[in-house]
Amino acid sequence: MTLHDAARKLLEEHKVQGVLGYRKGSLPFRTRPYLFRDPCEIEELVFNPFCGLNLARYLLFLPQGIERVAIVAKGCDGRACVALVRENRLRRENLLILGVPCPGMVDTRKLAEWEGLKEHEVTLRGGEIVIRGVAYPLASFLDASCRRCRYRSPLVYDILVEGGEVPSLPQEDTLRELRSLPEEKRWEFFRKELSRCIRCYACRNACPMCYCKECFAESHKPSFLHPSPTLRDNFVFHIGRAMHLAGRCVECGACERACPLGIPIATLFLAVSDTVREHFAFEAGVDVAAPAPFVTYREDDPNAFIR
Amino acid sequence: MNSPWEPKIVAFLCHWCSYAGADLAGVSRIQYPPNIRVVRVPCSGSVDPLYILKALREGADGVLVSGCHPGDCHYLSGNYFARRKFLVLHKLLDLLGLRDRVHFSWVSASEGQRFADVVKAVTEVVRSLGPNPLREGESTCDTP
Ligand code: SF4
Ligand code: SF4
Ligand code: SF4
Repeated sequence: MTLHDAARKLLEEHKVQGVLGYRKGSLPFRTRPYLFRDPCEIEELVFNPFCGLNLARYLLFLPQGIERVAIVAKGCDGRACVALVRENRLRRENLLILGVPCPGMVDTRKLAEWEGLKEHEVTLRGGEIVIRGVAYPLASFLDASCRRCRYRSPLVYDILVEGGEVPSLPQEDTLRELRSLPEEKRWEFFRKELSRCIRCYACRNACPMCYCKECFAESHKPSFLHPSPTLRDNFVFHIGRAMHLAGRCVECGACERACPLGIPIATLFLAVSDTVREHFAFEAGVDVAAPAPFVTYREDDPNAFIR
Repeated sequence: MNSPWEPKIVAFLCHWCSYAGADLAGVSRIQYPPNIRVVRVPCSGSVDPLYILKALREGADGVLVSGCHPGDCHYLSGNYFARRKFLVLHKLLDLLGLRDRVHFSWVSASEGQRFADVVKAVTEVVRSLGPNPLREGESTCDTP
């Protein structure tokens, strides 16, 4: 069944009160989240490589009267659903996961070279992206989080839609280059990037796992940082957030896509996810039953970094 | 007037082991650098990584967190939980190029000499790094 048929059928048969999906945005290469409640609206549902928001975020803010909802889920939205069920934010039985195999999301910053590019001038063909008739390898246009993605289709789903070519892309270690730089160069990179942040909190607000009613970044008692976007305050915000996302980040990259300054902020969260995977053998949003990495320990956890 | 720059290091010491170790170093009259500013905490497991970040934010040139040796935690497992958080923070600061600003150690109540040695070593490392790089373009705004 195609995505549209599946979504329409669910609404027509009253299996759900809404389908959370994407709709065309008002700017080119943008989509926006939308809760489809009427089967005739479904023709406006889109799924393309510009659906970079993580829809699971919006599951936590549904309007009243929506008891059961379907969500259009690529691999990472699916992981976020599992992670949110695990944290008791959602009930699995109220959620219908409409899985779509994901081709990867295009980093729109990379399309900036083509002036006045229109949406219809960009198409996908297998593992290639065709821009104004010229084909380029898709992999080099994808977001860092998509180039390293391990789960392109949701691991847990109720319906998996057909179609949607999923090119088999090599899984790339997008952090390798940064890690291979000498220490001063790494700090130079982060100092520059963190200094640019204006602390609009769009990254946090796009994140499916940042649902706290009161975030440490805005807490006054105790207060950990000042609202002014100075390097040191930005440092506390981003590193503090990365610590809160350890073992919870589902590696979707939605934070980075939301950033109005194009700061490669997901780097921090992807790095933390790597540490948790490597040392605690845990991946967020993969297994509903696995114990969270920070409520357990092993006596033989790494100790060499401690004096 | 122009005294040479000296690093300031905030040390979070657990009440049951490292703080007592520091005390022992004191009553035994063991000399160690006066660069640390001690904050006593109930357990290394109670050290929220945000405390460490805030210390750096407020201008500390380095941070030391010290607790009981694994297996010796007064609360049985606080330091094991702490170790997981600290590893993640350590790896992240390493990526940022700030690894040697934040140090961790296990020091027991009977290890006065060891406490002094740790403080000496940490002070030397932080001294070699120079002042806290987060202080550039410092605003005058302080957190309450
Ligand atoms: S979205 Fe970008 S500018 Fe806004 S707080 Fe996040 S990193 Fe900073
Ligand atoms: S931190 Fe970024 S990559 Fe991780 S779950 Fe949140 S939005 Fe996704
Ligand atoms: S950064 Fe931390 S406190 Fe803030 S919303 Fe995210 S998880 Fe919650």
